[in-house]
Amino acid sequence: MRLFWIIISALSNMFTVLLLAPLLEGILRKLTAWVQSRQGPPLWQPYFDLLKLLGKEDLESGELPVVQQFSACLALAAPLTVAGLLPLGSSAPLQERADAILLIYLLVLCGGATLLAGLSAGSTYSLIGVSREMMTAITLEPLFVMAVVVGALNIHSFRLESVLDGSPYAAAHFPWSGLIMLGVLAFSLQAFVNRVPFDIGEAETEIMEGPLMEYSGPKLALFKYAQMVRLVIFAALFINLFLPLGNDWRFPLGLVVFWSKVMLLVAAITVIAATHARLRIDQAMRYFAGLAGISLVALVLAVCGF
Amino acid sequence: MTAQPILDAIKQKFGTAIPRADIPANNRLFVFVEPPALKPICRFLFEEQRARYVIGIGSDDRPFSGQFLVAHNFAFDPQRLLCSILTRVGPENPAVESVASVIPAANWAEREFQDLLGIQPRDHPYPKRLVLPDGWPDGVHPLRKDVPWNHCPPDYDENREFAFDEPPAGCLVVPFGPFHPTLDEPAHFRLYVEGEMVRGCEYRGFMAHRGIEKLAESVLTYNEIPMAAERICGICGCVHNVAYVQAVEQAAALAPPPRAEYIRTVMLEIERLHSHLLWVGLACHIVGFDTLFMQSFRIREPIMKAAEAISGNRKTYALCLVGGVRWEITPELKAQLRQVLDRLETEWKPVAQAVLQDRNLQIRTRGIGVTDPELVRNYGLIGPVARAAGVDIDCRRDHPYAAYDRVDFQVIVADEGDVWSRLVVRVKEVFESISIIQQCLDQMPNGPLQLSLEGELPSGRFGLSSVEAPRGESHHFVITGENNRPRRWRVRAPTYQNLQGIPAMIQDQQLADMTITLGSIDPCFSCTDRLETIDLRSGQQRVFAPEELVQLARNFRKTP
Amino acid sequence: MSFLSKIREVMICLGAGQVTLPYPVAAAEPVPERFRGRPLFNAAQCIGCAGCANNCPAREILVFDVCQEVRIMKYLGRRCTYCGRCADLCPEKAITMSREFETATQTIPDLQQNLELFMSTCQRCGRCFTEPGPLEQLMLKGYRFDALAEERWVYRSQAHLQNEPLVRDIDIELD
Repeated sequence: MRLFWIIISALSNMFTVLLLAPLLEGILRKLTAWVQSRQGPPLWQPYFDLLKLLGKEDLESGELPVVQQFSACLALAAPLTVAGLLPLGSSAPLQERADAILLIYLLVLCGGATLLAGLSAGSTYSLIGVSREMMTAITLEPLFVMAVVVGALNIHSFRLESVLDGSPYAAAHFPWSGLIMLGVLAFSLQAFVNRVPFDIGEAETEIMEGPLMEYSGPKLALFKYAQMVRLVIFAALFINLFLPLGNDWRFPLGLVVFWSKVMLLVAAITVIAATHARLRIDQAMRYFAGLAGISLVALVLAVCGF
Repeated sequence: MTAQPILDAIKQKFGTAIPRADIPANNRLFVFVEPPALKPICRFLFEEQRARYVIGIGSDDRPFSGQFLVAHNFAFDPQRLLCSILTRVGPENPAVESVASVIPAANWAEREFQDLLGIQPRDHPYPKRLVLPDGWPDGVHPLRKDVPWNHCPPDYDENREFAFDEPPAGCLVVPFGPFHPTLDEPAHFRLYVEGEMVRGCEYRGFMAHRGIEKLAESVLTYNEIPMAAERICGICGCVHNVAYVQAVEQAAALAPPPRAEYIRTVMLEIERLHSHLLWVGLACHIVGFDTLFMQSFRIREPIMKAAEAISGNRKTYALCLVGGVRWEITPELKAQLRQVLDRLETEWKPVAQAVLQDRNLQIRTRGIGVTDPELVRNYGLIGPVARAAGVDIDCRRDHPYAAYDRVDFQVIVADEGDVWSRLVVRVKEVFESISIIQQCLDQMPNGPLQLSLEGELPSGRFGLSSVEAPRGESHHFVITGENNRPRRWRVRAPTYQNLQGIPAMIQDQQLADMTITLGSIDPCFSCTDRLETIDLRSGQQRVFAPEELVQLARNFRKTP
Repeated sequence: MSFLSKIREVMICLGAGQVTLPYPVAAAEPVPERFRGRPLFNAAQCIGCAGCANNCPAREILVFDVCQEVRIMKYLGRRCTYCGRCADLCPEKAITMSREFETATQTIPDLQQNLELFMSTCQRCGRCFTEPGPLEQLMLKGYRFDALAEERWVYRSQAHLQNEPLVRDIDIELD
């Protein structure tokens, strides 16, 4: 019976994310349009886009078609699995069984899918995109790991549902480390969700979507969907880690509070994306390196109990 | 007199090699020289007289004088003089000494007349095919008068491939274009990339030929060409329109009525306004800053509306005819235009303020695509690219045309030579343009719009005209001719020169900066490519069925 | 300063409000008086002088004399640039530049206009009007008899193309 409920709640989490992700993308587009004084597409446009792409013929273009297909599936499957593990305004599906390390692995897999996609496509621009994604991933992923580790250190546990409940602030003394990590992740969130100024790997005006350049039809739909899901899960992770207030309120209220926070976060991401220019890869690396340095300080503080 | 001292200087040094020289106006000089003296004279003008190289022109003059004509045009900006050094070469195996080794800016111009007229530039440093398509047979030169304008060479070889240079060792070749989201028109750069650094490139362009020059000298008439000239470029169309008409007027010694001159000035400045706003937007789009792109387009919109109200179209104004203009600016339109300008000024000021302090934009544009005055001189770079590098040239002031000698304006100069400086120059020039239009509206005299012409235009006369397009100087060269059409019309769009500076600008820069560097010269490939039309597939259109295309796309992978 | 300029930029954006129109759904804004849209030919006013045909930069107006009395004028519209020269030159003001600009079509003949004109025999010089200037008149030195069926502009001129006396227009296959 317990297993049944775990499966049900994980599945319902996934479906919620699948259902809401395009809507959030729609809100994002509408808000961008608003900032840009435009009408903007209808709120439901992302759903139609996905349906249209899914309905197209599956063309093979690239070096390794099978791997490409696999990478497209992986790209969506990895963040969806994360969605299945996260508490989304309700308690986490896997109580006392999941480990925060699993989360880190899955998130690395998300990036890995894009790399695989680019490598197996094998065109010049996808390879440039891959090398950029790789460089970003190497400097970016540690930041998230660091945040989780700081949280785990503060609560002395790697249990998923405890880590994802404002753990960085749970230090014995005043939570300096948590606040620092909040700043670090807030300043790198744009990169996690692949938005300007850090959409370097897919820069449309430079390298034409980089790794995704060779993809069309259903495969592209999966990548686009994955992109939308990533937006939701990273927003959810950020909220669970750093802004947990109100998530555990009673059933409908917690849900409402949680999703309102997600929407606000998406709005903030949109406004930042709309008012910035894209950085160059070397500038971005320097930026991330600086953040990594700061997060190391936070780690030391967390070890010392701050 | 500014032409005389320069002519005297040339005569003093090369006296015997100059059979003839014309000074049709104070600011124009045509020197006919013997072929062997062409290179020394050009070198003398470029190196000792510090003239700016404008363009080289070849022309088939065989039906009239039995010989080919080659001209190199120079501009003496401080002396306010446009000068053309012309020489005639024999009809059999025509060849001239190449000047590209001395003046790098002549590189393309010489390759162009090699392709189109078969005039060989001897000892050219890089005599590769420039203009003609890959499959075009050797020995067929479409701009020669004995080639009909709609000639389709039967031995066109669809499968012939262009021989690109070998990339340097250790470099990956990244094809940039012909189709790329930031290239609005087709052009192909083969970038040699090492990691993320660009080590060099080869350009293969001229993919958008529409044969306007050939059409003009074989099919169109004097007053039809302005409408065609306008379609050379989608952004600076009016510039080409005015430049062509002015070149013809200068050749035929016609003086358009003053009111027409003022109206031309107003329309040219309207065009500059819209183009600058558009470019600022596009530059922002290239670096991923789409909001500013949208906002500058929003601010630009009333300008387009004003242009539409005056000329009947947002972009193709169809403004000039030889000897005048077509559209009157009535008092109501004047009032409307003033309103638009006031609104533009109040809206652009905060944007300029915000943009000029935006560090986020600066880190993407500072120190990128750097030019220095030496590079500007060697490659004949012009317009905002030159002014951003501290080279103070502006045709509106240096070679005044229309009513620019009667208005007051500043030439904006910056000195860092990078993309950021170009942005600053263009953002600030908007205010100058607004002021120019306001002055024109104040000063505009009453009078006719159109000169009434008496009889045909004289034939065999030369006309030069430089017009400052938003992105640089547009230079037109016209030889008037028979049958109500010119014998030769040569258009040198600003991008033609600026693009030649690109390889030097992107050398040892990051690949990510390639697009914004290229974008910063505001490249207009259709201007550059304007030349020869060739109906490539012998006039046949081929329509691919969808299945066929799919098949092609699939097979492409298997047949590298 | 950068942060301040970001705030300024956001203020500029928000101050502007929404400016785009839901265009294809709602009607477009009205065009100004001088707007040069699709030229409309009025057969009742046309005298068949072919001044428009001879001065069309895009060669979009064809002239064909079926017999002594009937002249067919055909406006093709396929690559008309809407320059408005035909309307300028028409001595009878039979051509007006309309306000139509939504002319996209899958079948190019939709844009065509045919005029069948009755031409009475002129007892005098045959030149019924004078164009505004010498640059417009000169084109009449040759002789026109266009190929209507092939939609091609044919002009026998005294051009110096010795091996090709017939200057042809571009053949575009219309289907």
